[in-house]
Amino acid sequence: MAKISNMMDIGKRSMSNSGTALQVAGHNIAGRSVENFSRQRVEIQTNVPITEGKLQLGMGARAGNVTRVNNPFLEKQIQKETSQLGYADGRAENMSRIEQVYNEQLNKGLNTSIGAFFNSFRELANQPESLASRTLVREAGLTMGQDFEKINRQLKDIQRDIDFQLKTDVDQLNQMSKEIASLNQKIMQAENLGTSPNDEKDRRDLLLKKMGEKIDISFGEDKFGNIAVHAGKIGILVSGSSANELHCTETGARDRAEIFFKNSENGSSFQVTDLATGGRIGAGIEVRDKVIEDLLGSVDTMAHSMMKEVNAAHIEGFDRYGKEGILFFDMPDQVKGAAAVVKINETINKDVGKISVAARPDAPGDNTVANVISSLQYQKIMAHGQATFDDYYNTSVGQIGTVVQRAVKNHESQKNIVDQLGNIRESVSGVSLDEEATKMIEFQKAYDASARLIRVADEMYDTVLNLKRL
Amino acid sequence: MRIADKMRYGQVERNLQNNRAEMSQLQNQAATQKRVTKPSDDPLAATRVLEARSEERGNVQFTKSIFYMKNFLEFSDQALGEMTEALNRSKELALGQASDAGASALTRRAVAEEIGQLYSQALQIGNRKLGDRFIFSGYKTQTQPFDKHGEYHGDEGDMKVQLHKKAFVAMNLPGSKVFAGQGLGADGIAHTEETPVTTPELMEYRHELDNKPPEQPAKLEMRSPASVNDILTSGINVFNVMKSLEIALRTNDKEQVQSSLNGLDQALQQVILARAELGSRLSSVNGTLESLQKAIVDNKTLASQLEDAEIFQTVSDINKTDATLKASLETSGKLIQPSLLDFIK
Repeated sequence: MAKISNMMDIGKRSMSNSGTALQVAGHNIAGRSVENFSRQRVEIQTNVPITEGKLQLGMGARAGNVTRVNNPFLEKQIQKETSQLGYADGRAENMSRIEQVYNEQLNKGLNTSIGAFFNSFRELANQPESLASRTLVREAGLTMGQDFEKINRQLKDIQRDIDFQLKTDVDQLNQMSKEIASLNQKIMQAENLGTSPNDEKDRRDLLLKKMGEKIDISFGEDKFGNIAVHAGKIGILVSGSSANELHCTETGARDRAEIFFKNSENGSSFQVTDLATGGRIGAGIEVRDKVIEDLLGSVDTMAHSMMKEVNAAHIEGFDRYGKEGILFFDMPDQVKGAAAVVKINETINKDVGKISVAARPDAPGDNTVANVISSLQYQKIMAHGQATFDDYYNTSVGQIGTVVQRAVKNHESQKNIVDQLGNIRESVSGVSLDEEATKMIEFQKAYDASARLIRVADEMYDTVLNLKRL
Repeated sequence: MRIADKMRYGQVERNLQNNRAEMSQLQNQAATQKRVTKPSDDPLAATRVLEARSEERGNVQFTKSIFYMKNFLEFSDQALGEMTEALNRSKELALGQASDAGASALTRRAVAEEIGQLYSQALQIGNRKLGDRFIFSGYKTQTQPFDKHGEYHGDEGDMKVQLHKKAFVAMNLPGSKVFAGQGLGADGIAHTEETPVTTPELMEYRHELDNKPPEQPAKLEMRSPASVNDILTSGINVFNVMKSLEIALRTNDKEQVQSSLNGLDQALQQVILARAELGSRLSSVNGTLESLQKAIVDNKTLASQLEDAEIFQTVSDINKTDATLKASLETSGKLIQPSLLDFIK
């Protein structure tokens, strides 16, 4: 009798096992489109057999744990490379925008307008008496001023845009820290109960990758299954089930978005902008505070030297009315920000007769000063007497081109690495419909067979119970 | 290798993306006809293209200046040619009246009339204008250089024009030198003054100008017949020579007419030397013009080689990429579609 009930028992358990396996297959199919999902498997184990005399009889199987198929070392490697990718991506994106500011391949820019400015003085030297040539000089000067201002403004626009990006990134980073903290708690509880919190772990792995994309992080798991996250040189973002937030607000003398870190609820906050490295945040800060600041500095230097040199020659001359020359450009107080204020002296702007062309009074045909000013174009004024204005500007365009080219190439190759690793991960953890369909058939058949076993046992009962009627 | 579904989808997506990106870049090349559309496409080429372009813009401006200058020089040359003719004619007439053979007080008076006319013609030549500029009055282009007494009111300024990066060449000959005979070099040639090209030079130049004693207005000198030494060291006022010839003829002063011949010779030589100077400037300007025009073409060629897309190459690349894209699309469809589920009925 015991055997029949065992059969029923084995059948019942097997049906339940198949059901579980089918549910897991269903979960896999559904989870196929979940980011960073690892396919799951039911560990089906045999029950403890019973021994009857010399016979050892199997007692069927039971479902052990549902585990995920996952390679933690691969996950860690992907996390690291993804962080690199975030940095390369942020850099390539922002640098490409900078490149557009300096792109004169297809349209006109500062290089053109500087040439036109000096050429206008050459035209004026040809006909110093002509009001038309004087007007040409003023227009060329205005255009050049606008082009200087345009570069300055566009670079500052990119800085402002990076500020905005930083704020968004920091917000998202905080959300992720919080989510990891709460996942830590759930995972710890589940592991205490001896179950495997697969979906939570997948999610936590994903969040670690995404956090790395934003900023350079390091992390480690303790014996309870908690993951502590440390952001580069800044401090601890997640520890156990608590998370520390970063703040990003525009403040300080620079009026730039700065990042602050508070290491406890009531602690004081520190400015950590310079400590934030890696990821999109690190790339953004680097481009904003180093690359763009340098470029702004060099365009300011150029604008300042241009105004200073032109003024120095211009003031030595005499205007159309035989009066001593005045400043051609309004001279700013300092080099910083000079590019934004390349403006022609208001007096000249109103009356082009005030442009000095002559080296002596009452000599309308004297073009000495115009010649001196136009000669500035070919003098090595910039970079401590090493470069002309054209050289200086063209060199910086070339430098930007090289840096952008490298940034884009880095991004491409990093993307390839991450894609390759992603492929390897999918090969290990990814869901295959073919495979799940096969499993479904397999377990459906097992389910059918188990049911048949129960029916056989039932019939056997019937046979036994009907014995006495015979 | 175990192939998961996401690998297949990812592969399809990446391949199509790559094909599309390549196609878009090639299309951009075909549309702009440029290989380099932003500095990062080829930083070295982009820099050199920028350099070539600034160079070209400079050169185009220099050619413009040169055409203007040529016009000015040729116009001056023509004026000097006419002046030579007037002087030659005066000399001819003076020769005829220098002796008593076939000349008398009466003929001399008649010839004096003609010399008077030649004199006003010469004045008109000295006061010639190109556009609204007097060409012989130095920097004072808005001031008529010679009054009716042949007195000079311009200055000695040389208007310099930039021919190429490093060279400034004077465009005009001041009347003070050519016609009034002042400030000529020891060789009788109208040398041009160095003018500053840098700001420090300009400041020094200004300093010198400020400390120079005020210029004496050019005096009308009634010159005595010039000696050989005079010819070598200093010039002569063309108008004065003609005026004194006219007076000599009018007063029937035979000796004075004879001695005027010397002055006329000297004046002729002075004008011819000035013409020679113009001629040499013109030929150097023409030489520069030729090399500039060649440089402009060279620069264009260089820029084009650096940045322009090879159109045949681009089109053939487009066809190739198009074929690849179509193949990707076709195989992608096949790769994505079938799964085991399609066969379980």
